Amino acid sequence: QESISLTVASSHPTVVPWVGMIQTHFMARTDEILAQTGTYKIEWNEAFGGQLYKANATLTSVEEGITDVGWVFSFLEQAKLPLSQASSNAPFSSANPPAILAVMEELYETNEAFRNEWEQHNLKVLGFTATDLYDIYTKTPMTGIDDIAGMKISAPGVLGNWLRGTDANAVDGALTTYYTDVQTGVSDGVLTLALGALPIKLYEVAPIINRFDAGGSFSGAIAINRDSWDGLPEEVQNAMIEAGKYYTVSHGEDLVAKHEFALNKMVELGAGQSVPVQIVDMPEGELAKWANKLPNIAKEWAEPLDARGIPASEFLSAYLEGLRARGEVPVRDWDK
Amino acid sequence: MTADNQDREGGAVSRLWGAVVDGVAAVGTLMIGVLMVIICADIVARNAMGASLPLVSEAGALLVVTLVALQLGATIRARRLARAEFLLLALQARSPRAAALLRAAFNALGAVILGIIAFATLRVFEKDWNAAEFIGVPGIATLPTWPFRLLVLAGFTIAAIEFAFATLSALRRAVRGQA
Amino acid sequence: MTPLEIGIYAIFALLVLIAIGLPIGIGMLSVSFAGVALIRNDTVATRMMAQVANDSLEEYLFAVVPLFVLMGLLVTVSGVGRDTFDVFQRLMRRVSAGLGMATVFANAVFASITGISIASATVFSRIAVPEMRRHGYTSRFATGVVAGSSVLGMLIPPSLLMIVYAVLAEQSVGRMFLAGIGPGLLLSAVFCVTILLLAYARPSFVFEAEDKAGEDAPIGLSELLRKALPILSLMVLVLGGLYGGFLNPTEAGAAGAFGALVIALMRRSLDRKTFWGLLVETGQITVSVLFLILAATFFSRMLALSGVPRELSELFLAGGIGPYGFLLLYLLLIIALGCLIDSISIMLIVLPIALPIAQAAGFDMIWFGVLTVIAVEVGLLTPPFGLSVYTIKSAMNDPDLGIGEIFRGAVPFILAMLVCIALIILFPPIATWLARL
Ligand code: NA
Ligand code: NA
Repeated sequence: QESISLTVASSHPTVVPWVGMIQTHFMARTDEILAQTGTYKIEWNEAFGGQLYKANATLTSVEEGITDVGWVFSFLEQAKLPLSQASSNAPFSSANPPAILAVMEELYETNEAFRNEWEQHNLKVLGFTATDLYDIYTKTPMTGIDDIAGMKISAPGVLGNWLRGTDANAVDGALTTYYTDVQTGVSDGVLTLALGALPIKLYEVAPIINRFDAGGSFSGAIAINRDSWDGLPEEVQNAMIEAGKYYTVSHGEDLVAKHEFALNKMVELGAGQSVPVQIVDMPEGELAKWANKLPNIAKEWAEPLDARGIPASEFLSAYLEGLRARGEVPVRDWDK
Repeated sequence: MTADNQDREGGAVSRLWGAVVDGVAAVGTLMIGVLMVIICADIVARNAMGASLPLVSEAGALLVVTLVALQLGATIRARRLARAEFLLLALQARSPRAAALLRAAFNALGAVILGIIAFATLRVFEKDWNAAEFIGVPGIATLPTWPFRLLVLAGFTIAAIEFAFATLSALRRAVRGQA
Repeated sequence: MTPLEIGIYAIFALLVLIAIGLPIGIGMLSVSFAGVALIRNDTVATRMMAQVANDSLEEYLFAVVPLFVLMGLLVTVSGVGRDTFDVFQRLMRRVSAGLGMATVFANAVFASITGISIASATVFSRIAVPEMRRHGYTSRFATGVVAGSSVLGMLIPPSLLMIVYAVLAEQSVGRMFLAGIGPGLLLSAVFCVTILLLAYARPSFVFEAEDKAGEDAPIGLSELLRKALPILSLMVLVLGGLYGGFLNPTEAGAAGAFGALVIALMRRSLDRKTFWGLLVETGQITVSVLFLILAATFFSRMLALSGVPRELSELFLAGGIGPYGFLLLYLLLIIALGCLIDSISIMLIVLPIALPIAQAAGFDMIWFGVLTVIAVEVGLLTPPFGLSVYTIKSAMNDPDLGIGEIFRGAVPFILAMLVCIALIILFPPIATWLARL
């Protein structure tokens, strides 16, 4: 038996579901497949949780071989991975993370520009990641998207775009600041994910979950440094490709389950509060109304890239067509 | 606390170089003021108008890296990098020449290490330039990162050269048998 | 060589290089570069070092360092410290050894508007020492009190050391600040008890002559308010803003620096040249701190690749000595290093190795941070390199005052700090109660 030493790392800790699943699904499945013949065994050197690099360097760290395998967080690589930003610039196109992941996986095979934007960074993509769904957390119930006019809403920088045209004021923030921001009145509410809101106990200060099921986004990929990849025996490469596919599918299913679980858990944990946690389902059509209030942010995003020779409009159409082909109905036809 | 000038040759090159180091550091010094002003403006905007100013936190972060790089040369020149000097001072009392040689070796190591950083930062700069790397959110406000990267590159290069000059002057002292 | 061996050699090489006088940041970068080059290869080492240099300081939070330093330097020139001391001097005028305690109280209050101990040491050596001398105190005791109570500057928030710890241990800066309040008050109290005990049991240590200066006039309410107003408004701005939730730590630093600037301008203690000088000084302190953080980031990443922290924590925790044995060794190591190198360097060398062990031991990381900060601060007072003592010596500019005299004067306060550390180990809520509220 030959043993192969590989470093696997991430900027985020393993309590983040898709980072934990690198261990429990990607690595475990790779080991399992290799054990069938027993020819090779991987000695994983784990450096999760920012031991080797922070969230601002997930792409370059794999590219430069600082780690062999790592999770690349494409949200924070707007310039280097421009096409990968399509889904967050075409918001609310699908509330079905497995479908988003399947489309991105397919586009990676069929769309050369998309594959190139990743592979030119000296890496090989093995699996994909996405977010769960966005909702708006407030102190008092909303009846629809019109209610956020005049409110101060915390959102990470990138999602400030989703509030343009709604007459809400975007307050820049991050998971680490939301709780105190709302508690102290820096903001009146937060645009965030259930998986993010639960661990920071956001429901204690913003107990009303106005459920928009505002679509998920593509968030990144598990990738391996190209030089490390080229040095691996074919059997190991094949095992990793298969494990990567398994990871992507499992992660999609996990997002759906965890999203519902997190919402229910918040209701359960916040039942005894002075204002108990309450999920307020937004009426039919509110999400479309929200989408139509926005300027055409997809076009604003795509056109400058088109002008630089990066086929963003074409990629946007391919992404939305892929979703439609899987039965998803984007609430706004960003590509038309 | 002030620069130790006894070992500096009064030559024109040396004076010119000193002016470069101080001038570049002054840009970094100004950035501290800029940092204070933009952050205070953000506080006012958020508490009075309810909305954050765009770019403040990203630009603030980038300014920190830049101002450290820009002032590194002057900090080295002023001998303000943290170090434990007891053994070195004891050695100096017994053999000024050996102490000067040791200082030359330390400065040379500093020049090499910061030189490697400067050299490798050139690649980081190229990548930022080619990818048109930016901070902020397209559609709201963005700022290209390459000018900052260029300043960081300049800062580390100058710091490496400052260490190289310090190596030369320590060697000169070693030859003359001074501390 | 296995990665583990490389990591261990790197640590020893670093200690040797620092001992013979290499700048500490350059030392950490060099051994880490060599370590990564041996564990992986030189291309990875080069790229990793460039990434550390370009990315590791790119954090909004780090802007807090120059801003709090600038604030500390501005309040130092603006005479706020003198007013604080005046207030306590007049309030304590009838108490035995009252001036000593007034110095402690004034330091505790001044600490709440400065994040660096050298600011406290500079201010009070020029104000409190001459007053105490005038009233018949020994110079040994007078400088010792100033040196001892200057450590409050980095224990009571805001504090540069707490910020550095929060960054390395990934704790909230706001919580670390809160965690310093209880221990800061405790340490002030222990200092006062120490002064009273000295005045009672060893009067020759404290007094050398009759107090012929006579009693100071009592302070009127309006004068008290006038003198206390600037410092109170800065406290409200910084700590109120931070804990009222209007400001994050970086913003509190910016608002504090701006507020201190306004006070300095209103008191006409700032001309253009002085201000530029302060900015340059701020820049150099900032660079020496952040360059160390940059280098320590590379050092801890190299260690993560080598697996040393993991192995060490198994060794310590599974082996005979247990968590509290580790804690004791750790604190002793810090105090020993404190004799030779400066506070922030100690934290940056030791924490990358110690934090994973402390985490594995299940310690409360806020409590661990407070203990670390106090132990590190002992080094400000211990010879041969005691930064507070050196600062007092150079601020006093008195050729008759020997450095050894100041070190001797500080000894009782070192003992008081050790007592304080022991109390916090025995009663963790002193540090954690407010922070975990
Ligand atoms: Na303080
Ligand atoms: Na010391």
